[in-house]
Amino acid sequence: MKTPPWLLAAGLLFWGWQSGFLTEGAAMAVILESSRFIKVRWELSDDDIARIWTFCTLLFLGVAVFAFTNNSGPGNFAQLFATPSVNAERIAGNSSALTAVALIRWLPMVFFLFIAAQVFSPRKGIALESISFFMRRRQQQARKSGQPLPSSRQVNISYPYFVTCLLAASSHPAENNTFFWGLSALLAWALWSQRSRRFGLMIWAGALGMVILSGYFGQRGIGELARLAEEYNPQWLAHFINPRTDPRETRTDIGHIGQLKLSGKIVIRLKPETGAAVPAYLREASYRVYRSPSWFAGSSKDDFTGVSEEPLNSGSWPLLPGKTNTAVVNIACYLNGINLQDRNPEGLLPLPVDCGQLRHLPAYILQKNSAGAMLAEGPGLVIFDADFGSGWTIDSPPGLGSPPSANEDLAVPDVEKPVLDQVISQLHVAGQSDEQKRLAVDRFFGTNFKYSLWQEKPQSANTNETPLGRFLLNTRSGHCEYFATATVLLLRELHIPARYATGYAVHETSGHGYVVRLRDAHAWCLVWNNRDGVWQNFDTTPATWIAEEAKRASPLQFLSDFWSWLQFQFAKVRWGQSHLQSYVLWTLAPPLGFFLYLIVLRTSRRRHRQQTAEPPDLSHWPGLDSEFYQLERKLAERGVARQPSELLSGWLSRALAAPALADLRGPLQELLQLHYRYRFDPRGLCAPDRETLNREAKACLDRLTRAN
Amino acid sequence: MNLIWRPVYRSYRFFSWLRYWAQRRFTRAGWFVLAGLLMTTIMGLDTQNLVAYQVFPLLLCLLLLAFGFSRFFRLNYSATRRLPRFGTSGRPFTYCLTVRNLAATVQNDLTLLEDLADTRPAFPQWLARQRAVEKSTRSLRLSRRQRPNPVRLAVIKPVPLPAIQPHQEVEVRIEITPLRRGILQFNGVTLARTDPLGLFRALAQTPLPQTVLILPKRYLLPPIALPGVMKYQEGGVALASNVGQSEEFVALRDYRRGDPLRHIHWRSWAKTGRPIVKEFEDEFFVRHALVLDTFSEQPFSEAFEEAVSVAASFACTLQTQESLLDLLFVGAEAYCFTAGRGLAHADQMLEILASVQVCSAKPFQTLEGLVLNHANVVSGCICVLLAWDEPRRRLVERLKASGVPVLVVVVVPAAPDPPLEPGPMRDDPARFHTLVAGQVEQGLMKL
Repeated sequence: MKTPPWLLAAGLLFWGWQSGFLTEGAAMAVILESSRFIKVRWELSDDDIARIWTFCTLLFLGVAVFAFTNNSGPGNFAQLFATPSVNAERIAGNSSALTAVALIRWLPMVFFLFIAAQVFSPRKGIALESISFFMRRRQQQARKSGQPLPSSRQVNISYPYFVTCLLAASSHPAENNTFFWGLSALLAWALWSQRSRRFGLMIWAGALGMVILSGYFGQRGIGELARLAEEYNPQWLAHFINPRTDPRETRTDIGHIGQLKLSGKIVIRLKPETGAAVPAYLREASYRVYRSPSWFAGSSKDDFTGVSEEPLNSGSWPLLPGKTNTAVVNIACYLNGINLQDRNPEGLLPLPVDCGQLRHLPAYILQKNSAGAMLAEGPGLVIFDADFGSGWTIDSPPGLGSPPSANEDLAVPDVEKPVLDQVISQLHVAGQSDEQKRLAVDRFFGTNFKYSLWQEKPQSANTNETPLGRFLLNTRSGHCEYFATATVLLLRELHIPARYATGYAVHETSGHGYVVRLRDAHAWCLVWNNRDGVWQNFDTTPATWIAEEAKRASPLQFLSDFWSWLQFQFAKVRWGQSHLQSYVLWTLAPPLGFFLYLIVLRTSRRRHRQQTAEPPDLSHWPGLDSEFYQLERKLAERGVARQPSELLSGWLSRALAAPALADLRGPLQELLQLHYRYRFDPRGLCAPDRETLNREAKACLDRLTRAN
Repeated sequence: MNLIWRPVYRSYRFFSWLRYWAQRRFTRAGWFVLAGLLMTTIMGLDTQNLVAYQVFPLLLCLLLLAFGFSRFFRLNYSATRRLPRFGTSGRPFTYCLTVRNLAATVQNDLTLLEDLADTRPAFPQWLARQRAVEKSTRSLRLSRRQRPNPVRLAVIKPVPLPAIQPHQEVEVRIEITPLRRGILQFNGVTLARTDPLGLFRALAQTPLPQTVLILPKRYLLPPIALPGVMKYQEGGVALASNVGQSEEFVALRDYRRGDPLRHIHWRSWAKTGRPIVKEFEDEFFVRHALVLDTFSEQPFSEAFEEAVSVAASFACTLQTQESLLDLLFVGAEAYCFTAGRGLAHADQMLEILASVQVCSAKPFQTLEGLVLNHANVVSGCICVLLAWDEPRRRLVERLKASGVPVLVVVVVPAAPDPPLEPGPMRDDPARFHTLVAGQVEQGLMKL
């Protein structure tokens, strides 16, 4: 079944128009339809077609790999396997969908060579053996074993290619109805040649019109349904799929019974500038309101404001213009979340608390809130320089933004107050300065408490004791969240503004830099220094926590570190943080070029070899061994070469025009007659005449040689 | 076990019916639309990234409209088919079919479809085949073997009909390629009309039951010098000729148990009061036995089909003007058919071979007994076997022991590795041949 004239071109143009490849589509259409005017055909054997098919298949695979890489497929899938979650699953699924869309869009280009091979070859279709590996193998086996070859079936691929073009044209989001009307027109064109002659034109047109009208309303209905579903989807799912650090709320493990399990996976890599200090803490977010067991951003929840990139597209984001930064650290971290609107990776940046500027940050959007959280939207992996130094922070001053009735940075839950007052009475800090109070609190936790990831079950469950109260009065052991929460609340009860900060502690060196593992996730306190007017880190968790965490490290951690390094290197390529990505597509070029070379040049070489290997069959061309040809070559050496279209007789009279050869004219004319008879007479020459030709020609040759 | 297999069988029936229905109903353009509908069903799920969901309702409406048009089609016509008596498996042949338009309107753009009988097996046969296939399936092994479809008996392409004027008739020639031997049964004729868009066919059927016998495929055999000598045949020429043909009368004698009734000399009986029979001159001539092994575990074995073809090739090739050929095999019971010297023709033997089926109800010893009973009258024996196991070796051994020269042909599904050991034929290996299914022709040329 062959497509009607110009239908393929129309399909290609439609594809080009819809998918944004109009130039390419037009060029391909012109090439295909030019076969109607170009009568020259390229003879392609079944083996040649099979090679072209293999080439197209390889190209398809290469394009698939490229599309998958380009849409962050490997990294997202690696993340899905490493930390399976609904969110990771969704991201990976999104990558697959985008890959499939890109692949479908490029299909007409990928298989163009194949359709061109059919169009520009004398054959009417493609043998199925050329496409099917198994059928080809079966045919080769049959040929090898001398069996009769299985019957071959030819398939005209013009309609499948046309359908491919239509499908590829549909690989873009719906914007208007142009696709539908274009598709309807092309379908009508394609169906015209297939119509039943039993019915009149009006019936055909009426039936098709009814179909198109029904289809139009059908697609409108589907579109509306999809839009309705999408409106509800993000809000509904958002509660389940977002496990990243939330700047509005963090749920602590305070009150959690038993062992906390922490992973040794490397999540951040730091490289300080030569000689510069390394920040001890990298904060992701701060929280102001405690309602056991969670901390909330409080009034900072929705006060995200954009940070401007200055100058534009420079990668430089000043957070505190005018601040003097004394150190620089290079940070590489992942943006693990996803923005539900833009579908771009999104996450909180782990930064030193006193960070003043970010440089070389490839973010698309950067926002900060009054509690110091820095929300970035950009590639899945960001590598940037953070300038920091003691002094201002991006956090709002205490009480700013809080409801007038209550200062959120001094708020303490009523249920915790009795315990806190009891502890404060043991500190004996009444009337002392804020500095002395801080020292007393630090001393209190440093001398009486120990770090533990294990929490015993409480002895009696009937008391009104809160987990925090149990920690402060009874167990006196816990993990960082206990220490940070208790410190914040104690300081607030002592009228010192404080906030609860979460992020990572930096302590493990690796090569010239540092690595931060998931188990280095930490919570600490931000305390307001009233004298300097700045927020400062204040960590009361015993320093032994690092050693405690390190004890839990797996002996095979080096393997997981190597895997993390591989993931990091790959993520760099994938997210454009190295220059390799731009060369990925070019790496496909050599193998594809080599394959094309094999298809085109090897085939012609083989044919050439076959031609040269087979000796010319002279039996069908009598007289080619005539000695007169030697005479012709000899005369040509004298400078009178015969033109390709020149008769021997005409040329001979021209060649013998020289007076020196006058005595040869007669014999050579006689020889020419003999030669003609030998060459063209169906009866040929009899043996004596043949002998005469041989003898006289040699004599003339001798005379010519002497004449020279 | 049937609890599992029953649903599988039902799904097999359903999907095979669906395939048959779709092949008859959809035109090629219809197949493209159907394929497009399936693709857009998948692609259309992503309404955000792809506009393919707009294609889906359009294609669905196309098919629904085409289906709706097929509901309104009535056609008054009659048909006559002129079939040959025989066909040969794998060889296309043509026949004529006349369609008469009984309506008062011109009928154009019609397609003729033949209705062959439903040959899908009943549950027991299907189950036996499934188990045999499972047994022969090698787990996780690459295979180049193509399993033939035993249900598909012939290939008949749809034939476009020219316009038929009212109360007129047209004759079309139809080419059919039988794929398997046996009785090919036609149930009727169907005339199909496509919808205005040319996607879906409406059908009008008329019963026209007929049959044609498809003979087994035959191979060209080289001239064969069969072993053996002339042997005394009790009953003489009468055995090998029709009654009334040349026979030399020798004498009269008393009836002996086993004498044929047609040899009774009624006049003498009337005179003497005791049965008297005529005695003829004893005859010596060559008589060969063609033994076909029908004992296979697989009900639809390709090797068995090849074995039948080999037997048919022998039956056709051997010169039976001056000799007899006995075809011995076991089906529902043990059979012996004799051809040659005017007794029967090779055609009749081919008809028998066209209907031979695998025997799974009886042991191989049945065939052994049948052959050994004939061993004393045959000059030589050609054994076409399906395996070379102990019972078959023993049969050949005993035939040789009784002085009958034997030619053994073993048809196997795949080339054995190592080659089969000739066993009792080791003293005459030139008369022991292994033929691989699918490469029988080459193997037979080495005979």
